[in-house]
This record gives sequence, structure tokens and C-alpha cells, in this order.
Amino acid sequence: MIRSLTLMFFVLLLFLQLPASAQTTLIGTVKDTEGEALLGVTIRLKENPAIGTITGDDGSFSFQVPDAAGTLIFSYVGYADQEVNFLTGKTALTVILQSDVELEEVIVVGYGTQKKSDVTGAISSVDNKDFKDQPIGNIAGSIQGKVSGLNVTNPSGTPGSSLLVSVRGQSNPLYVVDGIPLLSESNSAMATSFDTQGNVTGNGQSISSISDINPNDIASIEILKDASSAAIYGARAANGVILITTKRGAAGKTQFGLNYYTGIQQVANPIKFLSSDEFVSLVEEGRQNDLNAYEQDPEIFGPDFDPALLTNPLPETWYTGVNTDWLDEIFRSAPVNNLEFSARGGNEKTKFYSGISYFDQQGIVIESYYKRFNTRLNIDHQINDHFSFGENLSLTYSRNRRSFNDDVYTGVVTNALGASPLMPVYNDDGSYAGFEDYQVSWLSDNPVKSAHEVQGYTSSYRALATLYGEWRIVKNLKFRSSWSIDYTNLSDDLYFSPITVDAENVGGKATNGTFNQLVWLGENIFSYDYNINKDNHLSAVGGFTLQQSDSRRQSISGQGFPIGSNLTNVSSAATITGGVDEGSNWALVSFLGRVNYDYKGKYLLSVSARTDGSSRFSPSNQYGFFPAISAGWRLTDENFWPKNNTLTDLKIRASYGLTGDQEIGDFQYISFWIPVTYNGQSGLNPRNIADPDLKWQTNKMVNFGVDYEFFHGRMYGSLEYYKSNKTDLLSEDVIPGTTGFESITRNYGNVLNRGFEFSLNAVPFDGEFRWDIGFNISTLHNEIIDLSTDGVLVNAYNDLSPTHILQEGQALGTFWGVNYLGVDPETGDPMYEDINDDGIIDGDDSQIIGKATPDMYGGFNTTLAWKNWDLGIAASFSVGNDVYNLIRGEYESLGWSDEGWDEDLILYQVYTNNSHEVDDRWQQPGDQADIPRASLINQNVLQNSSQTLEDASYFRIRTINLGYTFKPKVKHTYNSLYIYAQVQNPVLITGYSGFDPEVSSTGGDHPETAGVDYAAYPQARTFTVGFNFNF
Amino acid sequence: MKIQHTFRQLKSSVSAKRYIYCVLVMFIATSLSSCKKFLDQTSPNDVAQENMFQDANSLESARIGMYNTLQNVYYYGGYFPLMVDAYSDNGATGGYDSPDVNELGDKTLTSANIYVQNTWIAIYNTIYTANQILANVDAIDDPTLSDKIRNDIKGEALAIRALAHFDLLRMFGEHWNLASEYGIPVVKQVVEPTTFIGRSSVAESYDAITGDLVEAQSLIQNDDYRSDPAAFKGAMFMTLNAVNALLARVYLYKKDFTQADSYATEVIDAGYASLLEAGSFNQIYTSKLSAEAIFELVFNGQDRSQYNAATYARPDALRSEVLFLAAEDLRFFFESRPDDPRGALVDFVNNDLSIEPDGRTQKYRGEDFQDNDALVIRIAEMYLIRAEARGLQGGGLDDLNLIRENRGLPAYATDDFDVPGLYELALAEERRAELNFEGHRYFDLARLQKVQETLGEEVLPVFPIPLREVTATNGVITQYPGY
Repeated sequence: MIRSLTLMFFVLLLFLQLPASAQTTLIGTVKDTEGEALLGVTIRLKENPAIGTITGDDGSFSFQVPDAAGTLIFSYVGYADQEVNFLTGKTALTVILQSDVELEEVIVVGYGTQKKSDVTGAISSVDNKDFKDQPIGNIAGSIQGKVSGLNVTNPSGTPGSSLLVSVRGQSNPLYVVDGIPLLSESNSAMATSFDTQGNVTGNGQSISSISDINPNDIASIEILKDASSAAIYGARAANGVILITTKRGAAGKTQFGLNYYTGIQQVANPIKFLSSDEFVSLVEEGRQNDLNAYEQDPEIFGPDFDPALLTNPLPETWYTGVNTDWLDEIFRSAPVNNLEFSARGGNEKTKFYSGISYFDQQGIVIESYYKRFNTRLNIDHQINDHFSFGENLSLTYSRNRRSFNDDVYTGVVTNALGASPLMPVYNDDGSYAGFEDYQVSWLSDNPVKSAHEVQGYTSSYRALATLYGEWRIVKNLKFRSSWSIDYTNLSDDLYFSPITVDAENVGGKATNGTFNQLVWLGENIFSYDYNINKDNHLSAVGGFTLQQSDSRRQSISGQGFPIGSNLTNVSSAATITGGVDEGSNWALVSFLGRVNYDYKGKYLLSVSARTDGSSRFSPSNQYGFFPAISAGWRLTDENFWPKNNTLTDLKIRASYGLTGDQEIGDFQYISFWIPVTYNGQSGLNPRNIADPDLKWQTNKMVNFGVDYEFFHGRMYGSLEYYKSNKTDLLSEDVIPGTTGFESITRNYGNVLNRGFEFSLNAVPFDGEFRWDIGFNISTLHNEIIDLSTDGVLVNAYNDLSPTHILQEGQALGTFWGVNYLGVDPETGDPMYEDINDDGIIDGDDSQIIGKATPDMYGGFNTTLAWKNWDLGIAASFSVGNDVYNLIRGEYESLGWSDEGWDEDLILYQVYTNNSHEVDDRWQQPGDQADIPRASLINQNVLQNSSQTLEDASYFRIRTINLGYTFKPKVKHTYNSLYIYAQVQNPVLITGYSGFDPEVSSTGGDHPETAGVDYAAYPQARTFTVGFNFNF
Repeated sequence: MKIQHTFRQLKSSVSAKRYIYCVLVMFIATSLSSCKKFLDQTSPNDVAQENMFQDANSLESARIGMYNTLQNVYYYGGYFPLMVDAYSDNGATGGYDSPDVNELGDKTLTSANIYVQNTWIAIYNTIYTANQILANVDAIDDPTLSDKIRNDIKGEALAIRALAHFDLLRMFGEHWNLASEYGIPVVKQVVEPTTFIGRSSVAESYDAITGDLVEAQSLIQNDDYRSDPAAFKGAMFMTLNAVNALLARVYLYKKDFTQADSYATEVIDAGYASLLEAGSFNQIYTSKLSAEAIFELVFNGQDRSQYNAATYARPDALRSEVLFLAAEDLRFFFESRPDDPRGALVDFVNNDLSIEPDGRTQKYRGEDFQDNDALVIRIAEMYLIRAEARGLQGGGLDDLNLIRENRGLPAYATDDFDVPGLYELALAEERRAELNFEGHRYFDLARLQKVQETLGEEVLPVFPIPLREVTATNGVITQYPGY
């Protein structure tokens, strides 16, 4: 593209200088393959490039040529150059140009682009059409199931939440947006998980910084899966790299786009709870069961047990007739709206793309929402033959009303699951009903009150800006210097009103925090392209980059707010209770290079290397070296390969390389003392003990791939096999407590990932009726090979029993718990495996009971188009992963009362209401049930056991889209109008009993505690209608 | 146009290549030379180890930091003393049916318990900080650092290390049996993560503790508070008075009654802490650093403790919101002492139904700021130690009666103890009445070997070594039999 641009300017310049000498007039028109006239196409005479012209508005041209016969060269941005012979006798030439894309697909690779046919690494590419117009805030959410080797899990339906993105089993890939490596970490400090004492117990849903990008501004997404394609990003590429390229301008008539959609979201798979009557009869059944058991064996509940408890009638408070469906109270049908306007165009010198968009997603849990306002301006300007420059600028403002306590005890959803149906939402006087007074002890606050009265907002301003200059030094040698900043200003405001349980003692409390970060990046890259001769082609890239980050986090907390003032800012607080002011910084300096060589496009070789120096490691270990090599062979270009029309392209390739990881936080190699206070005096106490020999984590990956194409592109795809060994893992390693610390950040362990990836795309029908099919499947084998301390138990929440284990030979995210053996058909009691045969079932009987990683996952996509109609269906699936449905243990309590009787042995309270899942419980001797009997006295569900572990395999139709395209009857009135109706998440087939099998209550960043469901914010089903209008 | 012309020339000229070469070299050279500097980032919030212990000021900062480590929520920030009562007939647990909390209330601890694990680490964190100070204090070359201050800080570090080791021994070791192998890992220097430390014997553990305390005594004694009361640092710090009190406690556990008597006497006679006026013992819990305080870890609104949140939470709290409840057994106990005004400190009435029949202690009220201090050692304990050390025959009854009368109870007469063992029982009950929810009861039961008798046959008198520690040391540390 650059080359044709330069040529064009060259021609134009000469054209301006030389007076045209008139001999013969040549006229004609230039069109594209669709028959549209092309404006601004450069035409020059091959014999004398000084002579030429450009096409006008209607694609026509007319100019003088000196000779009667010759050759014209037509060139146009985005289209392949074309040579056309002419004879002046023959008038009115019609030339049809083919676009580059049609001719030869080019994909973005690290620090450059490459012809798709020359690629020797494992790269998957997703085009804009695969993710545009989807009512999803986070771009990663819309590409799930589209490519092999990429598994995106929605840990929660929280608007704006981050996603668990894993490339070949490695979580948290590096995102590179228009060349800027971005950190996908959450910058919000608002921990949404607290226990009842206000201590942070776990990570709530984090907010992804990738959500700041408007999906429709993105032209393409490339996923660099193997080491050879990713190693050019060296130290941060161990988990794969996702390249995001935004749209750029094109010369020609300015094209405007106006896109809009509106939709409605509902809880996709609600859990049904018992009504008041059913709840009471469950309790009564439990009493009767216990009474039966007592009558058979009066000692069964201990020697002092008084059976009056089981025969005393329930008090009248159980028969008030109140019947609250709590999930109905906290869920709602919520609208989602998106409006965008874009313009792209320019001339040969200056091209631009600009877009502005507003996305407003109301949450399906009351009060929560995510709003994003985004603008983008990308400009490229050609100064002359040698120099060009341009900029990318993106500004985003987002505001998120957080659903408080997403996923833990005191959360809105958490409390609504299991709340008493006998409890009204409001008292007669309109105040919130006090949860203490009703029949369920499990709550910590009225869920509707929590939703309204705990107000958490995260707002963020984000600016991503790049200015680049490019210098074509000599033919084939280019130098590009690009300077970027990524600035974030984020604020967290959390307020508990005085009527919340958390703040009633203190008259309301609030924390206001800000986070500022500036990351700058300078890149200086030479690229060289050299045709040694007709058959041998060489290209090289080399340069260095500097990146540095400074951040500061400040917050202040206060309590005691003026009653009735509605003030929530901390300066209104009676007492300031705390403040935080911390900064951090890091720097990275890198040298990189890559050489690609090919012989006739048949034998392909690529060698790359990067050296990174990071401030995160001690000076002796600061530099890491990450080389990679890959090779490919196109068998179908060989002479011995029989020419045929069946297998039309076949390429085999192999690669090996090293990539690194440095995401451990800043200054971990230094033993630090941090400021603390005692008795009003400040002092320092030790934060950590550090391993001064901390070094890079390295991922060694080997990849074999086959790219195939049948029937000239009617069927194509690839097959990959990879094996990666992540060594020297940077992790928190367990050390003896006698050191004074529980862990140390050091390099330890080795994790293996391997798998096959297969993709198949086909176009069974083409023409007026066109049918496209895409299918992909990936297998995953994840195994911990080596640990310095084997068998460490991990807690998803630090106040719950261990939920996971890190053990050699097992996968990361292996579940730990007691093995449930089912229900005794005679008694209805649950049976558990007593490993140590001590007669007691407790934590000591725990064993490995499942794993969070799938064995297989993939997707299926198809589009049917007939005339102007199109129908698209996208689906994804996952097989072999389990979810620890810990919350189910709470709302399947089967009438357990937790001793909720008073001294007169009258039952006033049980633990929780139950879901209709318990309808299948054991009810009489001989019942073959999986759910034990109801009981008041016995707790018949064990939370940390396989009783709550469920197979979370699923097949999900993610999107069904039906659209119609209008083409203008009269040319040039507009380009096209597309209207569509869409359903997101219409069908889910799974055996999982919770809201959604794609869940991780510990958020998107913790693979070692993945797959836990603790009342995660549920997923929505969304119906949208919208249009794309191009003019 | 001129620029274009120049570059067209450049393109063809030889100088262009040289120029390009220069640019390349320049870029790489400047970047290489500045890389080292570029990568030299420093943290704005923290002080690196190498910059610590350079002068008197950083030594003082570390000293304050050492007290802060005691404030850890799993240590004297709340959970350590509260767990000790929860694991006795004084306590029960609430919370959201979390197995780890239930294990405490039900007295069925397992080695994977997260509370035990975090307490273990928190206490060793204090020891680490003390060891850091002790390892560096002598080498600090700062003319403004007087020997007096140097010795004082050194003494405090030794005494706090002894306090921490003793708390570990009480919780994880057979502290009542000097012949036992089940002592605790004694850590007297900063250790590498690769060093696995097993248990010392109980005798060795005691030697380490008393050794530190005796040395601390001599160091802090340079600052003789008797000759200069103004130099008294206050009960919020580890003073000589607190060292002596701690020695009295350690020797009581060690059953060296002569020493226990003598140190308790020393503390009582010194007069830095004294019993409050009769009947006004509530001040211990409502005011900070009452006259009875010997060592009291202070908290404030910006530096809160967990006592209130974990024992009271809020007036209408449900059982699920309160981690550490008062057991019904404590109500029976105070019902058997109807005249004891201290019974009013446990509330079995004004609670949500779900808490009943258990109750809540009122020792840690103040829901608005939750800044309740940790009552580590106070004078009443000294009288009770001396009463136990001297025994009925040795005049211990005077001390016991002193406490009883001060708290509003009638004195015992010698005749009341005509049956052997009755005096010891009365003492134990007095300790329970006075010190409940201050982290003594389970240790007292173990010390008097009444754990099984009081709590049940299966209940062990020692907490399990955290499973994580056993795993992390490859079994170098031995688990207590029965876990």
C-alpha cells in the first residue's frame, strides 16, 4: 500500500512539473469488481511515468498520450496495481481493479503486516464483521467461538466486567492496540467482595481496560498463538498476544456511517425458588422426616434432644400469605442502546477515520449499568515521497454503577438467593423490611436495600494517543518512529448509606479514590524489503522500543454523613477514617528484530528475536532474550504436486520459540518496608521477603500446523498441534511461616499445555444464495509438571475452606473437596467418602474432585445469504470443565434450621429458602435420589464437596442475526442500509443448575481459583434491533 | 519543493548512507547508555531493605513497625485472643456457616484451618521484625543514637520476640510439660526461605523465651524507671514493667512459682499499674490505657482493631454477623456467681434470637470507631498469678481476695478451702471471671490439664501446626499427635 502511495505521489509531482504534450486522447472508466466507479485512481504510462492522470468522480479519465500504443498502470489504494495495454484506435477503456484483499489477504503481525500465505506461525484473524453490532461492552466477549485456541469465558454478566481470556490455556494475553501494548489489568481498587466485618475477602468482578475500546472502531483482531508469532513481543507474550487494529481512512469520497441498535436484556436462565407455601411445606417435610428418624431411634439427635421441637406447630408468622419472589425484585428487563457515527475518507495526501459512539447498557440487576462514550480520530498524512506522519487518538469516558458485593456473602444477588419468600421487600410504612425479622437466617441485608443504598461507581477517562512519523530512507528501507501515551484517570466512589447494615453503626460511610496512570511508549523501527532476485525475497524488521509507566493511587475514607443530606462525598463526613496515597512505576526497554525469507513463496523461513530489559527484575537479571524460528513449505507449489482442482493449496509449517512473562507487579525483587502507624506515630514494617534472583518466566512452545484449501477457496482451514512448557513460573510460592511470611514471589514450577486445534471454513453455495460455514475445535491438556511445594491448597475466598489444590500431575484450577457418594435410599441421608476412616466427615476427607479447565472447546458459525437477506448463527461449546457451585450449598439447605428455634422449642427460622432443584429430593424409603432428604436438624449438604460440583459443559447459541440490506435504486443517494434483528444468548444447553456454566466468581484474573460460582451476576439474553446506514 | 529536492539528492548520494548509519548508531548508542538509568525505577511508597537501619530514625521506624505487626488482625488485632476463648468453654462461633469458623466454635480444629494458619504466620511476622531489629541494631553508626536508646529498642525487640514465642508455645506447644518434645520452632535470627525449622523441645522453648526476657530486662534497666518516672514510656509500649509482668506469666506456665511470685511482686510493687477503684473495673474496657494496663496495644479510628466487629458488630446483629460469641456455658458460669458484677460484661439477653442461647461479650463495645485496644497484660493478672504461685499456704488468698473485693465480691476465708483442690478451682474460676475474652481460658485449661474434662474427650490441648507449614517444610515440623 505504501509503495503504491509513494508511486502515486511521485507521479503527481512530476505531473505538476511537466507540461503535457498533446498527441492522442485516451478515455475510459475505472470500476471495482462490484461495478462501483472508483474515484482518484492513478493512471500513468508505463513507458513514461511522467505522463498520467487520476480518475474523476464517476471513475472516468481522459488524457493525452504521446504514442498510439503502450501500457497503462492503474494504481489505487487498497487495490492491486493493474497493467493494461492500449491502442489509441480503440476508445473508451473499461478497467476493473481488484481489491488487495480479494487478491491476497494480508494480516497484521507484530511490527508489520504479512501476506497470509506467507505466514509460518499460528495466527488467527477475526474480521470486523464477526464482532460488530453485538450488544457486548467488551470486545473479547464477541469473538468467543470464532477462532480455535482462544477461549473466552464470561465470569459474570456484570456490565463492563472483564473476561477470562485464555490463549491455548494461558490466561491474560497481551493486548496490542494499534501497536501499543496495553495491560488488561483492572485499575479499579473497588474490591466488591467484603465480609460482614468490612474486610476484603476476595476479588469481585474486575473491570477490564479493554472495555474502553469501541468494537466497531476495530478493523481486525489477530491472535498470535504460537511462540514464533508472539516472540517479537518477548517479555510479555507468554500468554499469547491479541493484536487489535483500528480502522483507518481511505482516499476517495468521504464515507459516512451511522449505526444504531437498541435492545432489551433479561436474565437468560433464572433459578426458580420455592414459593411461601412450598417453602413452608419443605420445612414441614423436614420436621416430619426428623420425627420419623427420632421415633426409630430416640438417640439419633443426641441424648438431650427434645422432640417437641418437631411437633410444636409453626408460629403464625409462617402463614402471613406474603410471597416475595426475590429474584424478580432484584432483576429487571434492562435496555441496551448503542449509537455510533463514523466518517472515513481523505485524498491521496491525507486520510482519516473518525468515529464517535455512545454505549449504554443497563444491568439486569437493578441499579447497575455501564455507559461508555468514545471518540476516535486516526489520520495519515503523506508529506512527500519520503516522509509521512499520522496520529491515532482515542478518548473514552466510561461510568459504571457497580453491583455491590458481586459474588460474596453480602451481595445483592447472593442475598436474593435463599431469601425468605415470607419477607416483604418493604414494611407497611414504606421502609425496607428488616431481614432479621423473617424466616431465613442466611441473609446479611435486604437485597433490594443493598442494591439501592450501597452506591459504588467506577468512572474512567482514558486517552490513547499515538503520533508517528515514517521516513522512506531509500527504496525498500523505511524508518518509523512512533510515540504513544496511554493515560488513565479512574475514580472509585463507594458509599454506604446510614440505613445499610454495614454503615448503620457509623451513620454512613464512604471511600473516594482516584487512580492515575501514564504509560508512554516510544518505538523506533526499521523495516527493509528486498527482492534479491525474482525468486528470492527477503524482508527484515528491527528496532528498539522504550516504555515506561507511572501511576498513583489515592483514596480517602470517612464516616458519619449528615442525615437526610444525600451527600456522599468524603468531605461531608464527620470523621476521616483513612487515606491511601501510593505510586508505582516500571520501565521496559526492548530491542527486536525479525527476518523473513522466502523462495518463490514456496519455502518460507522466519527468524525473530527480542531482548527485553525490565525494571521489575534486579539489575543482574534485568534482560531476557526471546528468540523464535519458524518455517513453512507450500507443497502445492511444488512441481511434483499434481495440479488438481480439489486440494488447491497445502502448506505445512513448524515453529519453536521462547516468550516471557513479567506480570508480577513492580519491585518484587526488593525486600521492602512499608509505612504503617502505631499509637499515632508512623513507622515501617516489612512487606515481604524478596528473591533477589527473580527472573523472567519463560514459555517454550513448539507448534506444527497445516493450512489447507480445497476447491479454490470453497473450503479451507488449518490444523495445529502445540506443546508449551511454561518454566520458571513467576508466582507466589509457599514458604515456611517461620520466615514471617506465607509466600515469596519467585520462579518456580513448570506447567505444560498441549492441544490440537482444528478449523474448517466452507462455502457450500455461492451466488445468489450463499452459505458460509465455520467450525473450530480445540483440545486442551493442562498439567502442572513441577512445583517447589506440591499440594498447596488454595482458597477462592480467604474465609472459606480450601476450594482448589495445586498439585503436580493435575491441571491448574483443580477442585478440592469431599467426595459425595449420593443418597442412602433407605434413610435419605447423604453419604460421603470417609477417606481417613475416622467416622467423621470433615476437611481431612478432601480429595481431588474435578477441574475448571475444559478438555475441548470451540465454536460454530454459519451465514445464509439470499438476495438481500442474511441469517447468521454463532455458537460455542465447552466440554469437560466443572464448576464448584458453592452457592448452591446455601440455597439447597433442605430445611436445615441451624438451631433456629427459641427456648420454647418453637421454630422461628431456617437457614435459607430453596430452589426448585430440591423437588427431586429423597422423600420416602426406596427413592433413588441425588438430593438428600429434607431435615431440620441435619445439614444435608456439604458445601466443599462434590455434592455442589457440577459438570459445566455446555453448548450455547450465542447469536442469531437476521438482516436485510437495501441498495439504492438511484446511484449515489446512499451506499447501503442494513437493518437487522438479533438475539444474543438465545439457547443454552447444559446440565449446570446455576445461572450460567460460564462463571468465575473470583473474576477474570485468577486461573488457580477459576470455576467457582458464588452467586455471580447472571448472564443476560438480549434482543436487539438496529441498522447500519452508510452514505 | 526544496525539501523534496534535497532528499532526492540524498537518495542518490553516498553521504546518505553515512547519514543513515550515523542515525542508527546514534539511536542505539544513546539508548544503550541510558537503558541502565531508564530501568532504574524506585518505588515511591516503600523503603528498600538496604536503606533501612542506616540511622537512629530508621531504627525508630522499625520499632514502631514492630508494634504494628502485633496489631495484625490474626494476632493482637483481635483473632488471637478471641480464638483462644472460642476454643474453650467461654466461646462459641457464629458467622456464615463457614467450616473454618465452625471448627473453632465446635472445638474440632483441623490442620487446614485458615485462622490457625494466618495466626501462625502473623506471630512469626512479629518475630521476623524483631529479628531484623536485633540483627542490625548494633551496627548502626549514628552519633545521635545514644546507647540508652539503642539498648532500649534492643530490649523491646527481645521482649516482643519473647512475647511472640510464648504465644506460639501456649498455642502450639505442650507448655505444661517441660519434658515434652512438642515445643515450637524458635527463630532467633532472620532466616532464608529455604531454611526449614522444626520444633524445639518445650524446655528449649522456655529457655529461649526467658533468655530473651532476662536480657531485655537488663537492657531496658539502663533506663531505670524507678529513679525517673518521667522516662516511663507508657503501657502502650514494652516497658521494663511489662517485661517483668511477662516473666511472671511465663514462670507461672513453667510452674516455677518462686520466680513467678517474685516477678509479679516486682510489678505490683513498682506501682506503674494498679487496680482501679473498687467497682469501677468497667473503665478497663471503656477507656484507653486505664490504670490497670501493663501492656496494652492501642488502636484508633484510623488504625482499627477487629474486637468490636468480631464480637458485637451492631446491636441487631444476627448470629451470622458475629464471629466470636459467648457460649451458653459462660452464662451458666456467671449464673453460679450471681453476685459477680463482671457477669454484666456478657450479655445473654439483648441479642437476636439466632444468637441465643449464646450471647455476646460487652468488653469490646464502641461500634462507631471500633478502636478497642488489645489488653495484653494487666495488673489483675499479676495478682492472680501471685495468688496461684504462693498458693493457699503461702498467703495467696490475700491476692485472690484483693481482686474479689475490688470487683465487688465478698472475700473468701481460709476455711472455705478445707477440701484439697478447692483453692485451685476458685483461682481458675476467678481467672475465668476476670479474664474471659482476653485470650486466657483455653491456655489455662491446658495448663491445668482440664481440656478433655471441660471441653470433651476428643479435644486436644494444643492447636494443630498449620498443614501449609507441614507441607512447606516437607514435614520437618512434626504435627501434634491426634491431628
